[in-house]
Amino acid sequence: MTLTDASASSATPTTRKLTTAKAMVEAIAQEMERDDDVFVLGEDVGAYGGIFSSTTGLLDRFGPKRVIDTPISETAFIGAAVGAAVEGLRPIVELMFVDFFGVCMDQIYNHMAKIHFESGGNVKVPLVLTTAVGGGYSDGAQHSQCLWGTFAHLPGMKVVVPSNPADAKGLMTAAVRDDNPVVYLFHKGVMGLPWMAKNRRSVGPVPEGEHVVPIGKANVVRPGSDVTVVTLSLSVHHALDVAEELAPQGVDCEVVDLRSLVPLDTDTILESVGRTGRLLVVDEDYLSFGLSGEIIARVAERDPGLLRAPAARVAVPDVPIPYARPLEYAVLPTPDRIRRAVLDLVGA
Amino acid sequence: MTDVAFPRVSENDPDAEGVLATWFAGDGDRVGEGDLIAEVAVDKVDVEVPAPAAGVLRLLVQEGEVVKQGEPIARIE
Repeated sequence: MTLTDASASSATPTTRKLTTAKAMVEAIAQEMERDDDVFVLGEDVGAYGGIFSSTTGLLDRFGPKRVIDTPISETAFIGAAVGAAVEGLRPIVELMFVDFFGVCMDQIYNHMAKIHFESGGNVKVPLVLTTAVGGGYSDGAQHSQCLWGTFAHLPGMKVVVPSNPADAKGLMTAAVRDDNPVVYLFHKGVMGLPWMAKNRRSVGPVPEGEHVVPIGKANVVRPGSDVTVVTLSLSVHHALDVAEELAPQGVDCEVVDLRSLVPLDTDTILESVGRTGRLLVVDEDYLSFGLSGEIIARVAERDPGLLRAPAARVAVPDVPIPYARPLEYAVLPTPDRIRRAVLDLVGA
Repeated sequence: MTDVAFPRVSENDPDAEGVLATWFAGDGDRVGEGDLIAEVAVDKVDVEVPAPAAGVLRLLVQEGEVVKQGEPIARIE
């Protein structure tokens, strides 16, 4: 699939690769070109280009009327975005870290998520709320959470979580064009940033023109027959690494990248578990009352007979994310924890 | 044949160094003029490197290597 694999003997045709961050920016820029109602606002989205490079270059290209640096008041600028969306514009508003949702949650779940319902369907809120998630780089308990389960729990908003460059572009395009509020959570570890830990799966081929990934469709990123690993975001990369490592030992993992939490593609999960009979959910969010339990509940509700072994999960135990690197990696869903869980499931 | 140089990022320091952060195209890949082929990092500034010409890319440095500005990082044949 990668260029380097195919290039051993002769030159390969032009295939363009991007980081996840650049793919996200490309989607935003293409939608801004296509539709004058699309604009971007948030902290450091202009001159700085987004602290995780999610808006790099947009200010130079589209100017300060459509790429707006805001003061540090999340409730004010997310409220402004909700108002703009209600009036017919299509804002992309960035909450710098998802961990900061506490200071703006009223705008998000009482206004953004409920206006369509409370207006009897008469008022739309076509807004994209982008936000950085995830740990692994010692940023402490207030800058390392995922929290996607919290947004997915509250009705009224779609929730998407891309794991790779092509999906980052395709899901952003779909989110901007959706008439519903969409929360778009990008993990800092999948963005391909030069100053973060190197991650070969954060650079990949991205279609150059219009590219839409439908919201609500999971992706079987690796077919397999022994265990279904349902996961999302950076954990997809870890699951693929573990699957590659275990394959020579005769353990064949199927890896399902959810891509969207709301709507959740239950059919793809059930179809996969129906073939493998074993389910592992890997989630970088907290263990209890969240995504991992929801996935297992949906399988149990529809057909508990699909499971040949009890379902298993690898998630962050119910503690704040520690700052100290060894402690942080003790709670994150690392490849080592995923490998042990897979081997337990197959009884190896 | 065209050399691809590490971008000049400092006017004041001719010996400024940086790191080849990411190759977006691999050795032997065909690239078009203007295609993004690399990103380099100098201190906390990231700079994109577009292909100066079309052709087949030959890499001269690996990701993570420290390079002085102006020195060749690849050739396009």
